[in-house]
Amino acid sequence: MIANFFDIGWQNGLDIALNTYILFRLYVLFRGTNVLRVLLFMGVLLVFRQVAFSMGLIITSWVMQGVIAVAALVIIVVFRNEISSVLKTRDLKFFLWGIPRQQLKTPVGIIVESVYELARKKIGALIVLPLSKGMESVVQEGITWQGKLSKEMLISIFWQDNPVHDGAVVIRGDRITDVGVILPLSKRTDLPSRFGTRHRAAIGLAEQTDAMVIVVSEERGKITLVRDKQIYDINDAAVLEKMLIQHAGGDSSVRDIRKQTRELAIAAAVCLACVTGLWLSFSRGVETLATHDVPVEFVKSDQNMEVFSSSASSIRLLVSGSRPLIRSLKPDRINVKLNLTNTTPGKNSLSVGRNAVSLPPGISVKSIEPSMLEVFVDVPLKKEIALQAFWVGRLSPDLIMTRAVIEPEKILVVGPSQALREIETLFTEPISLDGITESGKITAGIVFTPSTIRPDDQQKSSVQLEYSVQQRENTAS
Amino acid sequence: MAKIPKMRPSIRICSLLIMCLVSAVTVTSRIYAQVQSPVMAPVPEPPVLVQAQMCEAIERFQPVNPAVVFSISLGRVYCFSAFDPVFEESIVYHRWYRQDRLISNTRLVLNPPKWSSFSSMQLRPADKGPWRVEIVDSRDKLLKTLRFSISD
Repeated sequence: MIANFFDIGWQNGLDIALNTYILFRLYVLFRGTNVLRVLLFMGVLLVFRQVAFSMGLIITSWVMQGVIAVAALVIIVVFRNEISSVLKTRDLKFFLWGIPRQQLKTPVGIIVESVYELARKKIGALIVLPLSKGMESVVQEGITWQGKLSKEMLISIFWQDNPVHDGAVVIRGDRITDVGVILPLSKRTDLPSRFGTRHRAAIGLAEQTDAMVIVVSEERGKITLVRDKQIYDINDAAVLEKMLIQHAGGDSSVRDIRKQTRELAIAAAVCLACVTGLWLSFSRGVETLATHDVPVEFVKSDQNMEVFSSSASSIRLLVSGSRPLIRSLKPDRINVKLNLTNTTPGKNSLSVGRNAVSLPPGISVKSIEPSMLEVFVDVPLKKEIALQAFWVGRLSPDLIMTRAVIEPEKILVVGPSQALREIETLFTEPISLDGITESGKITAGIVFTPSTIRPDDQQKSSVQLEYSVQQRENTAS
Repeated sequence: MAKIPKMRPSIRICSLLIMCLVSAVTVTSRIYAQVQSPVMAPVPEPPVLVQAQMCEAIERFQPVNPAVVFSISLGRVYCFSAFDPVFEESIVYHRWYRQDRLISNTRLVLNPPKWSSFSSMQLRPADKGPWRVEIVDSRDKLLKTLRFSISD
């Protein structure tokens, strides 16, 4: 049983590995965002739907399916900003390989210095330092900046004459990624009256995300820090620096890296478990049988030889596998190839073994019918064969058919040498005599019997027949 | 022991020449006879087919109602052939085929100076369909193929 479990083949191993990595990348790219939460919710719904379906709860299963479809729409419509930020702001290498480390290497000193400089000059400022949760669905998109963080840069952004000074600045790592960002306002009623719109915006964002927001009051030149719904009045640069270091990782960065690595490892393991479980449900599920009629392909070693007839043109295969695999099995993925290497001109009996059948991984052959094929192979020859009309029915007793000229008189046919040796005449399709009252012309098809022969020129498969009839003068005794 | 009489050289040479001459004449005459013999013995010419027809009956050595389609109700069908000239007594065959299967091979003797001959086939219900009669000479040379059908 265990040996059977591990006998998954390299294709399935690769299948599991690739899909695990895709799932893991989705987690890495969307972690901390609401998209991931909705995706997880959809996954849970999917499991519920399967359970409901297997229990025969048709309506529940149907409702779940509808909810999943709506959730997919919700993800695309509501979280379009978060999705686009994931897809847009990172390069392909990062998309496929990179792992974002949250708020590492943030130049805390520059931020502290800048904030105090802004406070001293009474320049209003709103600085956002996101952590792990995505805030793209919460904030209104500002202007992408992607500039290296410096004191001068930060001060100049909030300079009163700067067109983007009213919004918030977003700092990720050592870069100012966005400016002029509009934050959601808090609806709290217990805030002090000295708090203006900037403070309300900072608190609003902190309520919905895990970002840290620094506010510099324009009127009073005071610094306020908001994090996790907590509001801190900052009077000491050291306190600000300490809180920033704490938020950005700081002294505990090594520990945080370990924590992140552990988190990613757990996520990778969960992804592997999910994909393996999915694969097992596909490949080791309830065994299902299906019948497929597959045309036989003959593989020739001698190009001069030709297959003229076969006792069967298709093979009926009874295949087994898990239900999803059997359901997804397309006829073009099943091949039956018979090798003609050891055949001789004439009739040959070929065994249709399992090695002649090619199937996708996870599907096996239960039975092959017929297991033997009578195949007639020969070297094709050309021969000119006479043509003759095949009259049927009854000619009127008063008439005599005195002449019937067939055009062409002969036809060049291709066929196996053995068959052609025995054929001297080919006949037309039956031509009725019943309606004939006078001389005339008629077109009739040629019957190519045996079926192993065919006209050399495929266009020529009919003849013109000109016949003459005359009234009978006397009756033969 | 008897002594062999000695011949003079001139006589010996003459006798050798005479022997050679006699041998040469003998061989030449044999070769000439071999070359001339086919011409001398005339090869018989094959009879010439002048008429060949399928017909419903033969009356006064003439075909009656020649046709290419015959009703099975006739009961019998005939193959008439006339040869002119016939140089010597000869043999021809009428080979009757139903579709491609040989049904009958009738041997007919022809006599000089001209000769008409026929063969016939008794018809049964199973004989409906296309037929042919091949007229061949004694050397199996095909002289004529007559194609016809037996219908209801």
